[in-house]
Amino acid sequence: MPNLITQQAQKKLWEQWQKSFSSEVAEEFLQTLLTLMQFAFVVNPEYRQNIKYFEGRYQFCSKDGQVAIAAIFHDGRMEVMEKKINQANIAITFRDGKTLLNFILAPRQDILGSMLRHDVVTEGNLNYLYKFGFMAKQLQLMMPQLSQ
Amino acid sequence: MITLDDISLKDFTLDNLPRLKELRRLSFASKPEICIERARYITRYLRDQDAPGDAPEVRQAKKVNYFLQHKRPVFHDRNLLAGSTTSKALGAPLFPEFFALTLWPELDTVSTRAKNPQKLTADEARELNLEIFPFWMDNNVLELTRKRIGNAESLRLFESLVFFIAAKAGCISHAVPTYAPMLEHGLSGLIGRAAELAQAGDEGGGQADFYRAVQISLQGIMQYAEHLAEEAERRASVADDPEIRQELLDMAKVCRRVPAGPAATFREAVNAIWICQVGIHAENINMAMSPGRLDQLLYPYYKRDVEEGRLDIGGAIELIGCLWLKIADNVTMVPEASEEMFGGAGTVPAITLGGVNADGGDAVNDLTYIMLRVTELLAIRDPNVNARYDYEKNSEEYCRRVSEVIINTKAVPAFFNDRANITALQGQGESIEHARDYAVIGCVELASSGRDYPASSSIMLNLAAPLEMALFQGKRPITGEEQIGPKTPDPATLASFEQFWEVFKTQLDWLVEKAIELNEHMGRVHQQMMPSPLLSAFFEGPMDKGRDLIQGGSLYNSSGATHIAFADVVDSLNAIEQTVFVDKKYSFAELLQMVKNDFAGPAGEKMRLYLQNRTPKYGTENPIARKNARNIVRHLFDLYQSHTNYRGGPYRPAYWTMTNHAGLGGITGALPHGRKSGELFASGITPVSGAAPELTACLNAVAELGGECVPGCWALNIKYSPEGDTGQMSERFAQTIEAYFRAGGQQVQFNIMTYEMLQDAKKHPEKYPELMVRVSGYSAYFKDLNERMKDELITRTMYDLANGRAVPYPGEKGGK
Repeated sequence: MPNLITQQAQKKLWEQWQKSFSSEVAEEFLQTLLTLMQFAFVVNPEYRQNIKYFEGRYQFCSKDGQVAIAAIFHDGRMEVMEKKINQANIAITFRDGKTLLNFILAPRQDILGSMLRHDVVTEGNLNYLYKFGFMAKQLQLMMPQLSQ
Repeated sequence: MITLDDISLKDFTLDNLPRLKELRRLSFASKPEICIERARYITRYLRDQDAPGDAPEVRQAKKVNYFLQHKRPVFHDRNLLAGSTTSKALGAPLFPEFFALTLWPELDTVSTRAKNPQKLTADEARELNLEIFPFWMDNNVLELTRKRIGNAESLRLFESLVFFIAAKAGCISHAVPTYAPMLEHGLSGLIGRAAELAQAGDEGGGQADFYRAVQISLQGIMQYAEHLAEEAERRASVADDPEIRQELLDMAKVCRRVPAGPAATFREAVNAIWICQVGIHAENINMAMSPGRLDQLLYPYYKRDVEEGRLDIGGAIELIGCLWLKIADNVTMVPEASEEMFGGAGTVPAITLGGVNADGGDAVNDLTYIMLRVTELLAIRDPNVNARYDYEKNSEEYCRRVSEVIINTKAVPAFFNDRANITALQGQGESIEHARDYAVIGCVELASSGRDYPASSSIMLNLAAPLEMALFQGKRPITGEEQIGPKTPDPATLASFEQFWEVFKTQLDWLVEKAIELNEHMGRVHQQMMPSPLLSAFFEGPMDKGRDLIQGGSLYNSSGATHIAFADVVDSLNAIEQTVFVDKKYSFAELLQMVKNDFAGPAGEKMRLYLQNRTPKYGTENPIARKNARNIVRHLFDLYQSHTNYRGGPYRPAYWTMTNHAGLGGITGALPHGRKSGELFASGITPVSGAAPELTACLNAVAELGGECVPGCWALNIKYSPEGDTGQMSERFAQTIEAYFRAGGQQVQFNIMTYEMLQDAKKHPEKYPELMVRVSGYSAYFKDLNERMKDELITRTMYDLANGRAVPYPGEKGGK
C-alpha cells in the first residue's frame, strides 16, 4: 500500500513537471523541480548519495522580484523555502521561467549562452550550480522510470 | 648547412612510411575520451596525504610526484615513442584546479552529446560526482580568488563573460621550456644540481624548499619512465610477433636510459623530450605547452647519428612523425556550453622551425626540412607548426618550401617574421641573443626559449565592450541599465572626434585596469596553489635564483593580454570620424539611435549600407583608417607597459582571438561601421571580411602596426584561392610573404581554399573529414567547429594571388 501511494505521488509530480515545461511561470517550474528533488532524495537511496555530505545554499530569484525561492542542503537533507536567505553559495537571477529551464534542464543545457545573453545572472560559486545542474539532469533521466 | 639532395623529400611518402600511415589513420579514427586519472590521484593525495604546513612549491611537487608514480604506463599503438599524456588513446585530461567542474552537469550525457562528444564511462562519472568534484567545489583557482576578493567588480565583470576573460582561472601553461640541459645531463644531473644548490643553504627566500620541490617533481618523471620500461618489457614478454617484441624491448631500453640520464642518440633525445613533456602536463594543464625549436634542439643528435651511420633520413622522418602524433594525443575537456560558443580549439602545442640562430646566422638545417615534410605528410591539427623567416638570412628556397607546404596542407605552417619579432622582444628588454632564440607559444605569442615566462594568455579583452560603453555613457546594451564603466558624456554632445577618442580611451583604460587587477589577484592565488617546480626545472633562471617560475624565477617575466574585435572597433571609429565629424552626413544622435535599433527599417538600412560601403576601412590605405588603427595599438601598448605584474614583469599586448571573435560577436549589438547585431567580429588583427579589396594594401595596413608595439604578436588570417600550378603559386606566395615582412608584418597564416569548398564542407562534413583550417592562431578540423566559426571562415575575404584582388563572395556582383 505505501508503495502504491508513493507511485501515485510520483506520477502526479511527474505529470506536473511535464506540464511546467510548457509554462512561462518560473515559480511553477522551479517549485515542481525542487519538490521532485526532495521526493527523489527520500525515496531513492542511490540519488540520495548526491547530498550525503553536501552543504549548500541556493537562492533563485526572478528579475522582476516576484519569485524568491531558496534551497538548502544540510546534513543529508534538502529544505525548500519561499524567501531570501543569507550567505547563499550561489544566487541565480533569471529573466523568466523559460530561461531558467534552458539554463539548468534543457536537453542541451545552455548555461554559457544564457549567461552571455544575460538571460540569467549569477553571483557566487558556480560549482554549486554545476552540481545542482547534474542533480536536476539525473532527476530528469530517472523520471520515466518513476512514472511507470 | 643543408646536405639534403631534395629539400622537399618527395621520395618519402606515407605509402613508404607504413607506420606513420597507420598511426595517422588511427589518430583520425580515435574518438576523444575524458581521462580522470590525474584528477583521481591528485585528489586522493590532497585528501589523504597533503601536509598543509609544507611550502606551496613542495606541496605541488609531492602532488605531481604522487600522480606520476601512479600514472598508468600505456601503449595504445605501434608508435616508437613511449609515454602518453593520458591513459586514453585520445584523452581529455581533467584539471580540477581549474574548470573541470564545468563538466558536472553533463556527466551522464557528455558521451552522447551531438557536437564533439567525449566518452566517459558510468563508473568514471560516478567517481567524479561523488569523490572527486565535491573535494574541489570551494578549492579551485576561481573560488580561492573569490575567497580573497569577494565578489569584487573585476570578478563580476569577468563572470559576465562579455567584457574580458581572465584566463588564469583556467590555466597559465602557455610556455616554451628548454630541454637542452635535460638532454645533456639527464634528469639525474638536474636533480643533482638542485641537491647541491639546496645544500648551499637558504637565503631566506624559500630557496631550499624550491630546490627540494624540483627534486621531488623530477623524480616523479623518472619513476614514470621506469614504469614505462617495465610495462614495455612485460608486453614484450607476451608478444607473439618478433618485430613487435623487439620494438617494445627497444622502447624499454630507451626508457631505462632517458630522461634519467643524458641522451646519447637521436631516438633517445626525441623520447626524452616527449616523456618530459608528459611530465610537464602532470603539473600544468594541456594548453599551449609548446616544445619550441625542435629543429635546433635535436639537430646535434640527428647529425651525429647520421654521420655515425645509426640513422637515415627515413628513420628520422619516422621518429619525428611519431613525435608529432604523440603531441596530438590529447585534447581539452570542453563542456557542451563552451562547445557551442567557442568549440573546435585544440591544445595548441607550438613547434617553431627555421629562422636565425643566436649569432644571427641562418639556422635552417636538414632537420628543419624533415620536420616540414612530416608536417606536410601528416597534416594534423596538433602540433601547431610555425616557420620563422628572416628575409636577409634564410634562403629563398626555404621560404618557397614553407609556402609549398602551406599550399599542400591548405593551412600549415604559419609564417613568422624574424626581423619584426626579434625587434619586438628586444623592446621588452631581452638581449639580442635571447630574442633571436624566440619560439612561438600556442597560437602566435613569442618567448625566448626557456628563458621567458610570459603567461601569454592572461587576459582576453573584448574591445567592443569599451566602444559600446563610450557610445552609451558607460552602459552596454547587453547588460541593460546597469552602469558598468564610468559615466562619460553623451557622444551626441561632443564637438569633435578627438573628444570621442578621449571618451573611448576613458572606458578602455577603465576596463583594462579591471582586467589587470583581477589577473594580479589570480596570480597571487597561483603562487599559493599552483607553483610549477617541475616546469621551472626546464627554464633558465629558477635554478640560479632558487625561485619558482610563478614567483618570478624566469629570466624574463610578463603577462599577455590579447584583444578581440580590433578591426571592428577601428572601423567603427573610422565611421564615426568620417560620417559624423568630417562629412557631417549623420549626427551622432542619429547614428546612436540607429545603432541602438540595429539599423531597423528602411532608413536604418540606408544608413547601414552607407556606413558599410562609404566609410574608411582598416586594411586599406585610407589615412583615417591607418591613423585609428595605429592609435589603438600605440595606446594599448603604452597602457599595458605601464603596469608591472606580480612576477615583476610588464604586460604585453597582442592581437589573436582563437574562436572568441565568433562567440563574442554573436552576442554583441550593432556597431557604427554598419555591422548588425550578432554578426561575427573579424579574427585576430585581420581586417573585417570584405573591407579590404586589395591584397597589397591590406598587408601593408597590417604590417605598419608591427614591431615594438605588439610584443605579444598577432594573428593575421589570409585566404587564397588555390591555383592549378603549385610551383608558380608558391613562387608568388613567397614573394608576397617577403614584401609583407619587409613592411614590418609580424605573422601571417593562410587558408588555401575557396568560398565554395568551405560552403560544401559545411553542408557535407562527411566529404571533408580531414579538412584542416587556420582559425586565429591555431589549426582546427573544420568539421569540429561550431556553426558561427564555420560561417566566419566561409565569409573571410578570399584573395586571388595572381591579381592581388579580393574574389567576390558568391552572389555578389563585385568585390566588396
